[in-house]
Amino acid sequence: MSELAIRRGAAPALAVRGLGYAYPQAAKPALEDVSFEVAPGEFVLLAGRSASGKSTLLKAGCGLVPHFHGGEIEGEVRVADLDAIVVGPGELAAAVGYLAQDPETQVVSTTVAAEIELPLEMRGDEPADRARAVEEVALALAIPHLLGRAVDTLSGGELQRVALAAALVARPRLILLDEPTSQLDPVAGDELIWLLRRLNEEWGVAVLLAEHRLERCLAAADRVLAMEGGRLAFDGPPAEFLAWARNADPALETPAARLFSLAGIDPLPIGVRAARQTLRGTGTGPPPHSTCSGGASAVVRDSVAREVQAVRRGSVPRLSEGVLQAANLWVELDRGEDPRDVLKGVDLTINRGERVALMGRNGAGKSTLLRTAAGLHQPVAGKITVDSIALLTQNPSDYLVRERVGDELPGEEGLRALRVVGLEEKVDADPRDLSGGERQRLALAIALAGQMEGEQLPGLVALDEPTRGMDHARKGELVNLIEALAGSVEFVTSGATKATGAAVVVATHDVEFASEFAERVVLLGDGVVIADGPMAEILSGGWYFATEVARVLDLPGVVTPEQGAAALRGEAP
Amino acid sequence: MKSPFAYQPRPRPLQLASPGASVAYLGAIVVVAFLYSNPLVLLAAGIAAVSAGLLAGARRAVRLALKMGLGLGLLIVVVNALVVNRGETVLARLGEWPLFGRIDVTLEALVAGLSGGLRAAVTIVAAAVYSACVDPDRVLRALRPLAGRSALTATLVSRLVPVAAADAARLSDAARLRGPGAAEVGKAPLARRLLAGSLDRAVDVAATLELRGYSLDAPRPRNRRARSRYDRRFYAVAAVVLVAAVACKALGADDFQTYPSVEIGLGGATLALSALVALSGLAPLRRTPKKRHPAADGTKTVLYGPKSSRRRGREEMAGV
Repeated sequence: MSELAIRRGAAPALAVRGLGYAYPQAAKPALEDVSFEVAPGEFVLLAGRSASGKSTLLKAGCGLVPHFHGGEIEGEVRVADLDAIVVGPGELAAAVGYLAQDPETQVVSTTVAAEIELPLEMRGDEPADRARAVEEVALALAIPHLLGRAVDTLSGGELQRVALAAALVARPRLILLDEPTSQLDPVAGDELIWLLRRLNEEWGVAVLLAEHRLERCLAAADRVLAMEGGRLAFDGPPAEFLAWARNADPALETPAARLFSLAGIDPLPIGVRAARQTLRGTGTGPPPHSTCSGGASAVVRDSVAREVQAVRRGSVPRLSEGVLQAANLWVELDRGEDPRDVLKGVDLTINRGERVALMGRNGAGKSTLLRTAAGLHQPVAGKITVDSIALLTQNPSDYLVRERVGDELPGEEGLRALRVVGLEEKVDADPRDLSGGERQRLALAIALAGQMEGEQLPGLVALDEPTRGMDHARKGELVNLIEALAGSVEFVTSGATKATGAAVVVATHDVEFASEFAERVVLLGDGVVIADGPMAEILSGGWYFATEVARVLDLPGVVTPEQGAAALRGEAP
Repeated sequence: MKSPFAYQPRPRPLQLASPGASVAYLGAIVVVAFLYSNPLVLLAAGIAAVSAGLLAGARRAVRLALKMGLGLGLLIVVVNALVVNRGETVLARLGEWPLFGRIDVTLEALVAGLSGGLRAAVTIVAAAVYSACVDPDRVLRALRPLAGRSALTATLVSRLVPVAAADAARLSDAARLRGPGAAEVGKAPLARRLLAGSLDRAVDVAATLELRGYSLDAPRPRNRRARSRYDRRFYAVAAVVLVAAVACKALGADDFQTYPSVEIGLGGATLALSALVALSGLAPLRRTPKKRHPAADGTKTVLYGPKSSRRRGREEMAGV
């Protein structure tokens, strides 16, 4: 089929028929009998739990499966009328762009301009054509100011845009994206999704986007595919997907949909706007711009205000005070350009037993604050004191250097640490055989080992971006672990162990996750604390750092679907 | 933290110049260092390399390279003093040493070592300035028509080295964050982990290259010539330095003898060449446009508009 015909929409951008695939030496296939089509200019969301086959499916679309990974494949994958099983990723590159989760692994050049130009150079385009294409894609993605920068000086969000530019510069008809927002703050994540929507609408690029945080992109999608155990479990419009997820896999429900489910309202909303319109139509909700005057809203407001005041007064029992105290803390870092102040006079006290979400956009200073508390950076002014700290950095695998769990954590102290995280049964396992969540807990145990006095945990347990690439179910397990570490509930999976009370600080971009575990939120902006208060107050008072339910209902202190449903029913949450 | 030797784009003449001009300029300084043994000329070459780096904004690279270069230079001086017994001016008699035999430290051996040490230091500083100021992508692109695959492999290595350095820093941090009850991380497990991580990285990069069309055997078009308004300046300085160095060498400017006694030529040619070489370090100097009062002659001076030098610099860096 001619290129013109394809551009006119005569052929699907991606056609998958009866696709089955198994990685080399895998016990079971990663994909089984998957069939679907993506039309030119269509925006399709790929949903599903971790290990359900989403990434493998995307790799099959760009030719990495089977050409790069090997394995056994059956069925048919056609990209713009090219047989992806026959031709390799190089030939497919003109028709399909691919963006993986970690942008760090997707850049091969030193400067941004060279990185974006590389695919065209490999294709043999003339210099004048390359210059124009680079300029146009840079303008489309709003990154012309980055063209002269070195790639290793870019933030995660900037790097992700550069990788996207490199994937788009050859003007493919289809772009495949594997959780591109997982490392981005809410602002950058939302910007990327709407950028994709704009490219989709204005350039006619078909989009197949795999994401865990469905609330972020469901409203932008034309259609949803849901994977389950390597099979396609659902294929339909977003609204039908929500109805399907409610019964088939509630972990895939968005917070707004869960709010409506709990409140018994139909149809389920695909986004904030739809939810507010439905609520206005049914006359059950507070929008536009909730006044909180009377009825259900007043009940909720009073209840939440009492809760917030209780947290503010410190009525929640604390085991001791001030395990982390920072006073006028200034930290300067030199990342290769000129040194700059990353923390600018931070004042902060965190008490034992508190569960704190440390939030803020990329580069706001969250990781730097935790690393300074752990002694990895030295302040240039002010001071910080910490009782004792166990810090888990963004890459738990960095902690794992041996081939047996017991070798990482020898002796009684090691066993005690394993018990705290519920891994005492895995002493003889190879860390590489553990699941992602188990590896994370093992790394935490390594950081905890030897810092406990009896069952008493260290003063502060800090986790830096622990939910990257996690599905909702795994986040739930992490919430349980955090609550156990803070001493508020027994850690059920560990059986007999109940370790008491560390302060748990989690640096995270994930607003919904923060609403599930945190009782206090500290919001950093450009190195200073710009908000610090009870979670319900902070996460219901903004646009970006607010949960989906908070944005739908706009009620002070109402952040979770359960609270929202109670509010809609006129009950105190 | 980024390595001080990693390339950092800056709107300075040395970075904006084409790779050929930058290499010619820095290469001329290194050629002088290898052509001459006279410590005065070597010192001048060192001053040129340091000045070039500082004017190009590579302060950290120069500082670290100086530490390394002077450290290596000192080592050469000490070793030369210990192993060479030639020379008439004995400064110390250290007696019989096992393996070394009789050790007499002579002024001549120290000066000879100093000359070698200075040469090593100049080379290291110039290499550091090259590494921090010359875009490897542009160098390799220039080389690609000659050896496409080799150039791309070199690009990959130049990308993977800083990535591996960042991985090593992360692993080292994680090792420091292990609780006291966890097994100690020896160097061997850490190195093994780093190697495994590097292999994973290499696989990722290889996958990315596949996606960028590396496997296509498309005809490579001629790259547009990377021009810069600073090219002439660097080529001219390089040519003047090289011609002067060769001419002065013929005129006896490298009059330097260490054994049996030290004789350092300080004739007119030597002094003139030293001054010229030292001054060549000012080539990366950036001219700042004079600020003129808008009302002075009734015309506006564009300092930050579309035609400003800062804007032009940014455009050149981006290759636009």
